[in-house]
Amino acid sequence: MKKKWIAAVLAATVALTATACGGADTDTTDNTAKKGGTGAAVFNGQLEENVTIRVLENDTAIEKGYFKELIDAFNEEYKDKGIQAVDANMDQYLDLANDGPYGYGPDVLYQANDIIMKYADGKHILPLPAEEFDCFEQIPDTAWNAFHATVDGTEYTCGIPVNVQAPMLYYRKDLLPADWESAWDEDKDSVPDMIQSWSKMYDYSVARHEANKKQYGYMKSLNDMYFSSGFLFSYGGYIFGNNNTDPSEIGFAAGEAEKGAQVLSQLASAMNEDCIDDTITTNAYSKLADGSYFATISTPDVYSTFLDELTKAYEEQEGLSEWDAAKKAEENLVMTALPQLPSSGDLTDKNAEQIVSKCMGGVNGYAVSSYTKAPNACLEFVKFATSYDMVKRRAHMLGIAPARGDVAKEVGGTSEEIFKNLDAGNIILMPSISAIAQIWTPGQTFFIDLAQDVYRADNEKKYKDLASMKAGLEDMCKQINEAITTLQ
Amino acid sequence: MKQKNGFKMLDTGVTYVLLIAVAFIFFFPCLWIILASLSKSGSIYSFDGFFPRSYSLATFKKLFTDTTMYNYPKWFLNTLMVATGSCILGTFLTILTAYTMSRFEFKARKPMMKITMVLGMFPSFMGMTAVYLLMTQFGLINHLWGLILIYAAGAPMGYLTQKGFFDTIPKAIDEAAKIDGATNLQIFTKINLPLAKPMIVYTALTSFTWPWSDFILPKLLLKEKNLYTVAVGLMSLDETEFARFAAGSVFIALPIVVLYFCLVRNMVNGIAAGAVKG
Repeated sequence: MKKKWIAAVLAATVALTATACGGADTDTTDNTAKKGGTGAAVFNGQLEENVTIRVLENDTAIEKGYFKELIDAFNEEYKDKGIQAVDANMDQYLDLANDGPYGYGPDVLYQANDIIMKYADGKHILPLPAEEFDCFEQIPDTAWNAFHATVDGTEYTCGIPVNVQAPMLYYRKDLLPADWESAWDEDKDSVPDMIQSWSKMYDYSVARHEANKKQYGYMKSLNDMYFSSGFLFSYGGYIFGNNNTDPSEIGFAAGEAEKGAQVLSQLASAMNEDCIDDTITTNAYSKLADGSYFATISTPDVYSTFLDELTKAYEEQEGLSEWDAAKKAEENLVMTALPQLPSSGDLTDKNAEQIVSKCMGGVNGYAVSSYTKAPNACLEFVKFATSYDMVKRRAHMLGIAPARGDVAKEVGGTSEEIFKNLDAGNIILMPSISAIAQIWTPGQTFFIDLAQDVYRADNEKKYKDLASMKAGLEDMCKQINEAITTLQ
Repeated sequence: MKQKNGFKMLDTGVTYVLLIAVAFIFFFPCLWIILASLSKSGSIYSFDGFFPRSYSLATFKKLFTDTTMYNYPKWFLNTLMVATGSCILGTFLTILTAYTMSRFEFKARKPMMKITMVLGMFPSFMGMTAVYLLMTQFGLINHLWGLILIYAAGAPMGYLTQKGFFDTIPKAIDEAAKIDGATNLQIFTKINLPLAKPMIVYTALTSFTWPWSDFILPKLLLKEKNLYTVAVGLMSLDETEFARFAAGSVFIALPIVVLYFCLVRNMVNGIAAGAVKG
């Protein structure tokens, strides 16, 4: 009998959300006006009492102790109402679509926008009343749009943005050449040239490797579509048409995207064959720490992992105490915005005008499961977790770039820089439509081929000029299109 | 004569070289993972060629003390509980099934043997979706007992080896006991079971090792990290946790090795005892 009741409640919830959040014809919106959308009917403002809500957070937040602080603060605030938040104690890459309907998923989950919107598409997520949140006005439209879905002309918000994920350049200050101020700072702005320009980064990578064959400058796996596609976007490429809402138009070869492919190819020539597969992505933490690599790119949420590895390396290599090593690591590990690119797409062109680097990004946020038995308590938790104080605390403890403008301004530094880049449109957010799942494999295949080409004999090279790179990108778009249409 | 001795020595020498080479091929990965678990840096990428540059026991210490994200001691206890429970229950059911099929004649005996043999040919993961749905209905997801029940219930499917063993014990012993007034239960517990000691040990060992190292079923049924078994837990480790992975893999092998060395003597003794009685 109890099971029947649960089944009835679940069916009702699913039916409610089916009319509200996502669907076969779900489309993200491009409205410039701030729209919060309608929340699910289950959010009636009546807090469920004496309930325990299971919250799925990301591993870094748990590891660094932020999550404990968050739930402790929430539980203290809501103890009179009998609402308690606990760690869902599940893998961060859970499968809500399979586990949720049987009651084994979390009530609140913290995930990237593409994951949340994938769940929204399957009606596993409740639409939220975004206007009720105090962060509503503080978060830019670009970030809100990442969680928007339109069904039958009505707009819904399926997640609350918390932090912006975008590729950042990581480098070690203590690995800069001793004479960098005289030899690598042409504009005398006290910022090394290789941090400001990919052309200079390329020059430095070549020079560093020539001086010591075991050392490299910039290193990154090219096969990673998330990081590599930014080079295409910088020269006019894009993901889908109509502001990333129309998967029938695939734009990775648009504009002069082939120039971005050429830049990647030149950068790969200063690396080694590890750039073809995932090796560099995996070993960058330890290789940056042991000095083999000077710089790499990654997302801000792994800053603490880089820092831990560097601290450990200082302890081992220089015999420093843990405290001294940590202090030295904090001084020398720098996370900053991506360098600029030459407009000609040729890293050896010294006279080219510099253009801003664009990149693919994402927004992580909170969402409420459709299968929760306490939706109003969950909503209160999300409001609490996205409040000014908690997001600020999160930014301080985890080094994330907050989606809230007020916190980004308060935290300053890289966080503010990312926020500005998002607002300026230099961070292209992963589209929140299901077709996004089809871009990764064809994209990876092209970038692997491009990286391999660098290490092929001259008579076997496939990408000898911009025209052949354009053809390669067009072929990749064709494959993506076929994958999307086949699975429709 | 000298030529014969020379040939014999050459034959022995070649055999030894081959055996050492094969042993090395099998032993090398074990040695590598043991040394990797002792790596001081903790990263596979800091190795000097195949082996770590410096060694330390820090990873093993971390494995048991740093439990914020990866609670290895809890995973270990979970695995021990599942394996022990499955071992006891599975061995009991398998031996009963094998003894019944070996000693009793009943109408459905042959068809049942055929069906179990055919069913046993299908890989167990074929029924995973059905198992998952059934377990959700019984409310046994996120329960170690659920795993134990599945492992134990599936164990009798492999009763043929045990049946073969019981078949080798002469039925004349049972008949003699019956004439002396023994019941079926007495014949089983007081005559056949002591004779089947080596087979019980063998069954227990295999019933223990399968759940100990299985990944698919625990991954399917256990959603909470605190309930993970070691196999699932190790797979959930972050990519930067290689040394922890290696240390966890080494430590998980220890109970199996200890169990093997403890029980193998019983197997031999059992066989010898059985031979005298037989």
